[in-house]
Amino acid sequence: MSDKVKIAYFDFASCEGCQIEMTNFGDAAFLELLNHVEVVEFREAMSEKTTQRINISFIEGSFTRESDRKRLEDIRNRSDIVIAYGACAATGGINALKNHQSDYKQDVYGKDADMPHLESTFALPVSAAIKVDYSLNGCPMDRNEFIRVVSHLVHGKQPVIPNYPVCVECKMNETVCRYELGDHCLGMVARAGCGAPCPADGIPCEACRGFVDNPNEESLITTLMEKGGLSRERAEARSRMFAANCRADAPHKIETPNK
Amino acid sequence: MACENCNCSNMYNENIFMPKEAVIVRAEMATATEKHFTLKWADDSPNYFEPGQFVEASLFGYGEIPIGFASSPTRTKTFDLIIRVVGRVSGALHKLDKGDTMLLRGPLGKGFPMDKLRGQNILVVAGGIGLCPTRSLIQYIMDRREEFKQFNLFYGARSADEQLFLDDLANWRKSDDVNYHETVDRTSENWRGNVGVITTLFQKTPISQDTRVIICGPPIMYKFVLIELDKLGIPHENVYVDLERRMKCGIGKCGHCQINDKYVCTDGPVFQYSQIEKLEEAF
Amino acid sequence: MNAYFIKDTDFTQFLGKMIEAHKVVGPKAKKTRFVFDQIKKPEDLRLDYDVTILPPKKLFFPPRQELVRFHGQKASSCIHPEGTILFGVHFYDIKAIDMTDQLFRETNPDWNYLANRECSTIIGSNIQNVYKRAFFSSVGKGVEPKGHDGFITKISGGYVYDAITAKGKNLLKFGAFTDATEAQLTEASKANKEVLDKCPEKLNNESLEISEKVRNQFKSPMWKEFSEKCFSCGSCNLVCPTCYCFDVQDNWNVDQQTGVRERTWDGCLLEDFSTCSLTGGHKENFRETRASRYRHRIMRKTSYLTAKLGGPACVGCGRCAGACTADIADPVPVINRLMEV
Repeated sequence: MSDKVKIAYFDFASCEGCQIEMTNFGDAAFLELLNHVEVVEFREAMSEKTTQRINISFIEGSFTRESDRKRLEDIRNRSDIVIAYGACAATGGINALKNHQSDYKQDVYGKDADMPHLESTFALPVSAAIKVDYSLNGCPMDRNEFIRVVSHLVHGKQPVIPNYPVCVECKMNETVCRYELGDHCLGMVARAGCGAPCPADGIPCEACRGFVDNPNEESLITTLMEKGGLSRERAEARSRMFAANCRADAPHKIETPNK
Repeated sequence: MACENCNCSNMYNENIFMPKEAVIVRAEMATATEKHFTLKWADDSPNYFEPGQFVEASLFGYGEIPIGFASSPTRTKTFDLIIRVVGRVSGALHKLDKGDTMLLRGPLGKGFPMDKLRGQNILVVAGGIGLCPTRSLIQYIMDRREEFKQFNLFYGARSADEQLFLDDLANWRKSDDVNYHETVDRTSENWRGNVGVITTLFQKTPISQDTRVIICGPPIMYKFVLIELDKLGIPHENVYVDLERRMKCGIGKCGHCQINDKYVCTDGPVFQYSQIEKLEEAF
Repeated sequence: MNAYFIKDTDFTQFLGKMIEAHKVVGPKAKKTRFVFDQIKKPEDLRLDYDVTILPPKKLFFPPRQELVRFHGQKASSCIHPEGTILFGVHFYDIKAIDMTDQLFRETNPDWNYLANRECSTIIGSNIQNVYKRAFFSSVGKGVEPKGHDGFITKISGGYVYDAITAKGKNLLKFGAFTDATEAQLTEASKANKEVLDKCPEKLNNESLEISEKVRNQFKSPMWKEFSEKCFSCGSCNLVCPTCYCFDVQDNWNVDQQTGVRERTWDGCLLEDFSTCSLTGGHKENFRETRASRYRHRIMRKTSYLTAKLGGPACVGCGRCAGACTADIADPVPVINRLMEV
């Protein structure tokens, strides 16, 4: 039996885009990583399922149904390390947009709204159901960060997950600030690690990696209004897209592991 | 690309971040969380540090952490480092064993001011892991006992299980060279010594007003020890403290260990108390 | 006599020849702002810039810098400086480079910075347009810009070039320079003097007074008020020409054998900057509140380094004020208010 680190992928409520991001690697870096890890379960790319002990499980998708708890617990029991893989698993991600609404089902599914498989409750991070060791943040997760985190784990080192905001990376890239161009941005409260590609390409940061540990949400709203020109209503709602569960007003605020 | 502006070729060898190899000649767990390493430089160079100085210890891939010398340079062949499991780096270093190589940068920082301590009465107050860096001074004094007058040593540990350097402690208890007093915060079955915080040891023995005092321990300890020293009328110029901060580069650049305008890694880690007592961020 | 003159019509050719022979870095336009970047065509050089997003420190102390490369536990150094001509540096940035030179050189010389620095030629330029947040004329007035190799000043019809060092004189061969006339020198010196009256912001006190009084306000309740809106984003640190704090991290390459120990810019405003790991997963943050971090930066600029540097560790470029989205980082109103107490 190989002594490579055994990794597996699992998915819950998500678009599976973070797993696709993996299969999209297709380059030398990923193939080289396969000298050190062995993928033992990965529905997107292989049909086998494993009965062996898994060293690292990557779980994509949010926890939205009580009925998923058992499957999550089973993954936890089979794994040494569990990583919330991508925004949906790490923070609830975009799915958590529904958490403050009640009429979304009718809006989205119309006459099919009452179909039984659509039954779900709050969209929560995986850590709401089981112990998660680390989070690979972002929508999608960042492949360079993935390689770094896996490298650290292969060596038995706790990975370093950034707890500084996207502004840091924009400064290092010498990107012209969105606010200077008459736009707005969430970079001041958004957890970095992505390398800030969006502002560099002319798009405001949406905080897809969630917030830093102690975001100044009050100041965010003021800045969005005073400097970004947003209405109060829009400024207050602006960070819901990806960070609904990270906000102080989240109905089910869950502490996510990041260190 | 060649540089035509200056003759910089001789700079390449002076990379201050380049560590030196040291070989582990002995390694054993001292307590449940602390591992005691005895090392020698791989190139057989002699010890050239001062008591109280530190090194940045590392393994490539894992990073560096500051560790104080736990032995005296008077012991010339090898030196000791005690590493407590705290995080990534210390966790990796703990896996090392006899014969393995550890990477070190140093010696770094300002140690104990030996010229001001020689010929004086000495009191060392060490709490918990604070015994490690002060052991470099304790050994020094024991090795050159005639250079110092009265030598008092107070050691406080949380419990008997957490006591370090058990062989040393046994020797100090018997030795006429040191007036050694110890205490534990929590008693246990086989403990027959003092129980209580370290300041209770001040009742055990008289300390003269002209004593030079060295303190090293957890942050909370300093405040209470200093109250005792004030009662004894010991001037703050004669008190030295060994501080701990996040000394990342160890060379006074990276900024993490700053206390107001002082860099702990280069202005310290040993400070004369009178020089830092007014620094708001020190205690 | 080290002062020369070059006509506007000859200047482009001078730049062209210099660029052909050397790597030249100077101010270039980036959207609405300017950045120091390699000049590949003479017309890219924008000596009419007001301020760059990042100061030129990035050339000697890049945002990410490899310190040591490793293979297993064997190391190799990676100090490989590239000779660069840094062209068009405003005097406030020259002052800042002189400070970081001193700070990286003192006690334990850091050749990872110094090698880059020593292999560069620095040519200053006069300020043709003043940044909207600049206050360079009222800070550290006694501190002279030094350490540069030449200085170029735009006057009518061309440029006066002061070739200060041998490295500075080395550039003369690329252009049709003539000796500057008395009138040209007077015009250049007038331009450099007059720009000092154009700063939109101004400190009301001398730097030494500020150093002492601000230091004594450590316990003021005002720090909390100043920092209420702070995001702890570190932008003020990162764009500052005299900030040089860094973090060091080790990373393996994908082969899991080789890797680098590298430093990345860090800032005392970031929440984890002063956090120490303790046993049992506990942490202690020695500057836990926004106010304490905010205060540390202002103190460091006004007071902490004064004795060492002989003046404030601030040059009045105004970058921090402009980079702060919450608009609370500008030292001018803060210092002026602390001085009124």
